[in-house]
Amino acid sequence: MQPFTYARPETVEAAIALLAEHRGDAELLAGGTDLIIELRNRWKTPKVVIDLKRIDELAPAIVEKDGFLSISASTVMADIVADERVQRLFPALVEAADVVGSIQIRNRATLAGNICNGSPAADTAPPLLVYEAEVVIAGTEGRRRMRVDDFIVGRGEVALGDAELVTAIELPIPAEPIGSAFTRMTRRRGTDLASITLCCGVDSAGMTRLAYGSVGPRALLILDDSGVLADPAATHEEKAPYLDRMFVDASPSPTSMRAGPEYRVAMLPVLGARALQTAIERLAHAT
Amino acid sequence: MNDTVHITVTVNGEQRELDAAPHHTLLDVVRDDIHLTGTKECCVVGECGACTVLVDGRPMNSCLMLAVEVDGSEILTVEGLTDPDGRLSALQEAFLTTGAAQCGFCIPGQLVSAHALMAAHPEPTLDQIQEALAGNLCRCAGYEQMAEAVFMAGKEGDR
Amino acid sequence: MTTGSVGTSQPRFGGYGRVTGRQRYLADIHLEDALHVKLVTVPSARARIISIDASAAKEIPGVRLVMTAADLPDPMPRHGPQYQDRPVIAVDEVKYHGEPVAAVAAETKEAAEEAARVVEVAYEELPAIVTVADALAPDADLVQERSIRRPGSLIDSNVLCEYNFGWGDVDAAEADVVVEGSYAWPAQTHFAIEPHGFMAAADEDGIVVWSTIQHPYQLQKTIAQVLDWPLAKVRVIAPDPGGGFGGKQHPKLEPLIAFMAVKAGRPMRLVLTLDETFMAVRRASAEIQVRMGFKRDGTLVFQDFANDFLVGAYGDTGDRITAKASWLSAGPYRTPSVRIRARAILTHTTPTHPYRGFGIPHVGWARESCLTEAAAALEMDPLEIRLKNLARKGEEHVPGDTPADGEWEQTVRKAADEIGWGTPTPPGRGRGLAIGVKSGPTTGLSYSIVRLLVDGSVLVFSGTSDMGQGARTIFAQIAADELGVPIDQVSVVMGDTAIVPFDQQTSASRSSVLMGNAVLFACRDIQAQVRGIAARSHDLDESEIVVDRGTVQLPDSRLAIVDVVKAGLGKLGGELIGTGEMRKDAVPEHPLGGTASFFEFNCTAVELEVDEKTGSITIDRHVTVGDVGLALNPIQVKGQDDGAAIMGLGHALMEHIIRDDSGRVRNVGAIDYRIPTSLDLPLELESFMIENADGPGPYGVKGISEGSLLVTAPAIAGAVTDAVGVVIRDLPMSPERVWRAMREHS
Repeated sequence: MQPFTYARPETVEAAIALLAEHRGDAELLAGGTDLIIELRNRWKTPKVVIDLKRIDELAPAIVEKDGFLSISASTVMADIVADERVQRLFPALVEAADVVGSIQIRNRATLAGNICNGSPAADTAPPLLVYEAEVVIAGTEGRRRMRVDDFIVGRGEVALGDAELVTAIELPIPAEPIGSAFTRMTRRRGTDLASITLCCGVDSAGMTRLAYGSVGPRALLILDDSGVLADPAATHEEKAPYLDRMFVDASPSPTSMRAGPEYRVAMLPVLGARALQTAIERLAHAT
Repeated sequence: MNDTVHITVTVNGEQRELDAAPHHTLLDVVRDDIHLTGTKECCVVGECGACTVLVDGRPMNSCLMLAVEVDGSEILTVEGLTDPDGRLSALQEAFLTTGAAQCGFCIPGQLVSAHALMAAHPEPTLDQIQEALAGNLCRCAGYEQMAEAVFMAGKEGDR
Repeated sequence: MTTGSVGTSQPRFGGYGRVTGRQRYLADIHLEDALHVKLVTVPSARARIISIDASAAKEIPGVRLVMTAADLPDPMPRHGPQYQDRPVIAVDEVKYHGEPVAAVAAETKEAAEEAARVVEVAYEELPAIVTVADALAPDADLVQERSIRRPGSLIDSNVLCEYNFGWGDVDAAEADVVVEGSYAWPAQTHFAIEPHGFMAAADEDGIVVWSTIQHPYQLQKTIAQVLDWPLAKVRVIAPDPGGGFGGKQHPKLEPLIAFMAVKAGRPMRLVLTLDETFMAVRRASAEIQVRMGFKRDGTLVFQDFANDFLVGAYGDTGDRITAKASWLSAGPYRTPSVRIRARAILTHTTPTHPYRGFGIPHVGWARESCLTEAAAALEMDPLEIRLKNLARKGEEHVPGDTPADGEWEQTVRKAADEIGWGTPTPPGRGRGLAIGVKSGPTTGLSYSIVRLLVDGSVLVFSGTSDMGQGARTIFAQIAADELGVPIDQVSVVMGDTAIVPFDQQTSASRSSVLMGNAVLFACRDIQAQVRGIAARSHDLDESEIVVDRGTVQLPDSRLAIVDVVKAGLGKLGGELIGTGEMRKDAVPEHPLGGTASFFEFNCTAVELEVDEKTGSITIDRHVTVGDVGLALNPIQVKGQDDGAAIMGLGHALMEHIIRDDSGRVRNVGAIDYRIPTSLDLPLELESFMIENADGPGPYGVKGISEGSLLVTAPAIAGAVTDAVGVVIRDLPMSPERVWRAMREHS
């Protein structure tokens, strides 16, 4: 690792001031499960590393406010998995957070970090898309909010300025029940980076939201309001064309070591159908 | 640029004042500065778990954190599992009883992970054990013996 | 009076250190004043080195030495266990991705890393040969220059060596049914959790080299050779390795570290990263073609093998792996005609190193898979076809070699029973079964010294490396029982060539048999001395006294050895020193240089289900049965058997080295080279032992430790065929590969 200065601001404003001062030469540290590897391999060589974990406002917390469940930037995956409200309202997020690395990783890795590093394989991206989550961003110009779907731009790229940071990820608490499920494809059952991540949500109005990642530069959210997919009585054959249509934009890397593109494309509707079925069952159970 | 940061950490119950280089990992400091070599280095990407320590009671990969981050925290390493008089915990005893330790290189990390599990679930199920130890690779593959040991220690109750 | 520890699950010697973090592995040992070494490599599988400029590196504070080929003797010293072709450091040409071209030594690890980054290597990338086909192409570049090849007809080819084994006449054999197939085994890596590490310190008295090596005496010989120093001036300290699996058998970077320590006059320390171990050591890949001929009733008529092992840029043990594995290609089956053509093929890849199983998994994959396919072609049961042809005890399955040395049918039937063979298979599941056999060591030489001290405690000295198999424990058990002392009165000393006597190596599951016998003979030597003492003390003739298993039997009484010794040694005290030598001599006319001292025999059976949509395999039950002769320590045998079975699952289902088009390894490190975790186990895994006390080791033991991974892959592939009808001939059996096979099948 190349030496750097370690900064430990106590307020969001102080952190932003540091970012503004060191534009481009500063890295934010929350869980560090990606950053430390990048530093060790010298893929990143910042002058300053800004540790966000001593900022009170970002301290681990999951709170309900203004119709949202707000997850602060320092909240780690293990806390999300253990939270009763997340389990009840956003079970697919729990399923995704629970497979992010091992318990050692889940005790360090944050939800905000998982989204901010822009990995196409981020496990939590599909559920956040399906639940229409928003990121809360602080910068020199003040605060702004943005849908996760707009925040994620591409491989390693998010809509975050040099002097901005994410303070929280907020999920709108659904007025009507949503049935949802997360699934993925890996090389082994133990911890792994996924070759497909996928989340499906259905509501009683017949809307199906399907999000999938690891098969292109960013996770995609596709909606279907035909009602066919969400219909518990529709057969697999009836649903298949609708389901297939949701994956037309998948563009898996031809050079991935984890799985070939042809296989990934073939597996999307398989995983999609399975997650859809679970989501429908969960919706039925909830209503 | 190369300034060290003064930190206070409690390691295995003993408070220590250290001057840590910001770019040194907790693993570097535990092994090279505090000379607690029970914590092992292998993959340095958070995949193998050989470097697992408890930070404020939670298992973490010490290769994936900066030492300066743990300022004010309590660290438990494998050395802290043994009584000051060298007496083994029930968990350590169980590892010996079931033959879980083969080459032994991963065992410190496995024990620390298992210790954290048992603090949260004193009588863990086999599924809980396999999940809790999934971040600790063992190439001798003594996984069943380790799970049996944790299960056994849970039934006996840690002393 | 006999303590009777043999055959019981005594706690592991060294267990306390292993569960407390006090065990000192190599990286935990710090030499005062040591310099930290970092290797310099280029990102190419093959490159011509044009120049190396270390000036920037030498500017970095704390840098004391930058070593390149120019700093070493000319001609470059070369070493290797079989072929002395590996240079101490790359000279003129980099022949595999990761081969060091320079090494930096500095006062701190950071300075060494920083300096290694700025050593400027000018190089020209050359086309690399990484496949069997490329290596054998008529116009292929030669991986090795003539100057480092052995003279002979192969010198202008990339074939390192070729073997032709067999008996009978395959071409004349009359078969009703012929089945054939090509099977591939990918390159894999050992992934011991302890990365390799080396240290060296030289002074006027000689050199001390510390290494994670499995064979300290071979390292001593290698260092003495490259430095041209006497053996007595080279001391090797080998702390217990944190897992070896064959990957730590032979010297690799120790000669470089030794030269650096001599040149700088300072101790050197090099601990590899896991990523660097991927470049330092790997397992052979292989392409194997099999033809098998049968009579209509399933009787084997012939087996015909063409085995190509892809062995890397230097010989290392590639020839030996190719020969030893291929020799047993036809397995434990009586076959009238067998033809085996085996080649070890040089490529621009990491030199092949031994890996648990030593090539037998590769040939076993081919043979057992082909047998399963043959059973289908003959409409026979896969168990029946095997039992029909299986050699029974005393039969020569390989003419002229050691005959079948166990009740092998018992092992196979046990595995079949435990998996429920012949009972209805639950819906959606399939069962598979395969048989593996591996020759134990063909030569061997182990010495042990046992000292019975005046207070009745015992020191056992052995050059075996205890790398997880528990060698210390079983030697202590033998000494405790033979000398009649409690096992906690025994200490076992290992890992220092200045202290322990010579041992050839720790490999091929040999130690309980060969070193076990050496320890036993050393104890018997003491027993003979005790007999003399007892005769003198009791005024008897030695012929009237029997000393055995801890006791001294006199005509009218029975005494403990320890009591006789204490009385006999008298006031001055002292000790009895026993020496034991166990020799398995070479047989010069034997193609392998010797017959098998025993066979490691295993039957693996699995029941699994395949997700027909995704190709994902779930193993419901995995049974492995080994013919162990006798389990000296059952819990340790189970640990080795379960562990090998799970390692075998990794090889079968997920492990392979992936290279890019130019031959560089792509999946370096833990993120993209996957090994099994605690969540990847079969739903049920059971290991069973067959114990008939019919082995050549103490009390009838045979070697264990490799058996359970010899045929994991073909057992699984057979079950996949049974479950979903597809035949898999390449590994690993990833969901994608199984899915592709199912798609092509349908």
